[in-house]
Amino acid sequence: MIKGLLFTLMLAGAVQAQEEPANVQVETPDTEISARSRVLELAGAFSNDGYKIRDGFWAGNLEPDRPKFLEVNLFSGNEYWFSGAATPPARQIGIQIYDAKGQPVKIQTYEDGPVAAAGFVPEVSGQYFVGIRLLSGEKSEFCLLYSYK
Amino acid sequence: MDRMRWIFFATLAIVGVGGAHAAETAMTAEQIGQVERVESITIPMPGEFFTAIGKLSRPDWKNFLRTGTPVATASRAQIALGLGTLVADGYVAVEAQDGQGVKNIGKEIINLAKKLNVSQSVLGRGNSLNDFAENNDWSALREELEATQNEVKLDMEIQKDGGLITLVTVGAWVRGMEIASGLVAETYTPEAARLLHQPAIMTYLLDQLAAVPEGMQKEPLILDLRAGLEKCQSEIAPETPSFENVTAVHEVMAEMVREIIINPEES
Repeated sequence: MIKGLLFTLMLAGAVQAQEEPANVQVETPDTEISARSRVLELAGAFSNDGYKIRDGFWAGNLEPDRPKFLEVNLFSGNEYWFSGAATPPARQIGIQIYDAKGQPVKIQTYEDGPVAAAGFVPEVSGQYFVGIRLLSGEKSEFCLLYSYK
Repeated sequence: MDRMRWIFFATLAIVGVGGAHAAETAMTAEQIGQVERVESITIPMPGEFFTAIGKLSRPDWKNFLRTGTPVATASRAQIALGLGTLVADGYVAVEAQDGQGVKNIGKEIINLAKKLNVSQSVLGRGNSLNDFAENNDWSALREELEATQNEVKLDMEIQKDGGLITLVTVGAWVRGMEIASGLVAETYTPEAARLLHQPAIMTYLLDQLAAVPEGMQKEPLILDLRAGLEKCQSEIAPETPSFENVTAVHEVMAEMVREIIINPEES
């Protein structure tokens, strides 16, 4: 469950917090990291909780005020995380999920600048749309994939 | 950034920013019209289907393991379809935790791929499947099966065999649906039947079949596949397919798989 994932991450975080000095520089320059490698890194965190990463991915350009949407087909009862990442000059992105009629659905969110994820457990199998939007920054490359369990 | 550090910061961000909420605005009609489809992510793998079914019941996956030799035919279309069905069978073997079964299926996938002139890189996938099966790494096997299928498709794309890519997808979906609908029919519940409600996938596959090269479209097997999928489209249209809907889907899918895996001369 998503709560289980959060607990796992919090536990890992608590352990790590004891190991790392507070002032350590951890950011690698964004330009050195492709959107795909960043999104795989995020999805890797979910796979620690049993999520299997789909091999396929969706990539393209993101522009301000021009969200992009992808059709996905999901199974009720499965748990999904849709992870996305964008390269500079993107500063912040958001991911949302919509039902087949384009209505937003209830999701769990994770947003950390140019990296974001949306967690969703569909009650109805079928068609959904995943939207990714540039919340801050300029035209940039993005990559999105999903994990399930 | 190492993995643990990433998890640490991810945790902070999730706890600080995340939460359950719905997006604020609905999509516009224009946005719905511009939705993109990427086959490798829009179409779920059979393993995803089986994961959902496994949450509702405890299927004896060993009952669904298929044995026998791959299709013996010169038809590249039929080979591609057969390869797709094997990918679905690979997931069944993984669910059954049958390492030898996975190895056998991996070998058959590679044998069929060779007949379609795929590159050496795909052949290496067979070794990976063997290694993961040897170590009972079922989670890795699920990902590797999809990666193998995608590698075959990538090779087909390079060889400009786009029609074959569609057929691998159709083969995997048809075999996956045959198994899933059989399981649902065995112990019918509305909840399980709702897993079969995937009309958009049927529409997508039919659209793709309509776009394969003209010569391929005229093959009797492809004509039968289209007819079968069209019939199933109405059966899975209800949000909760009835028992009759489910058994009808199973019969059609089983017949299509039979056509895919037999030698045309036997039919």
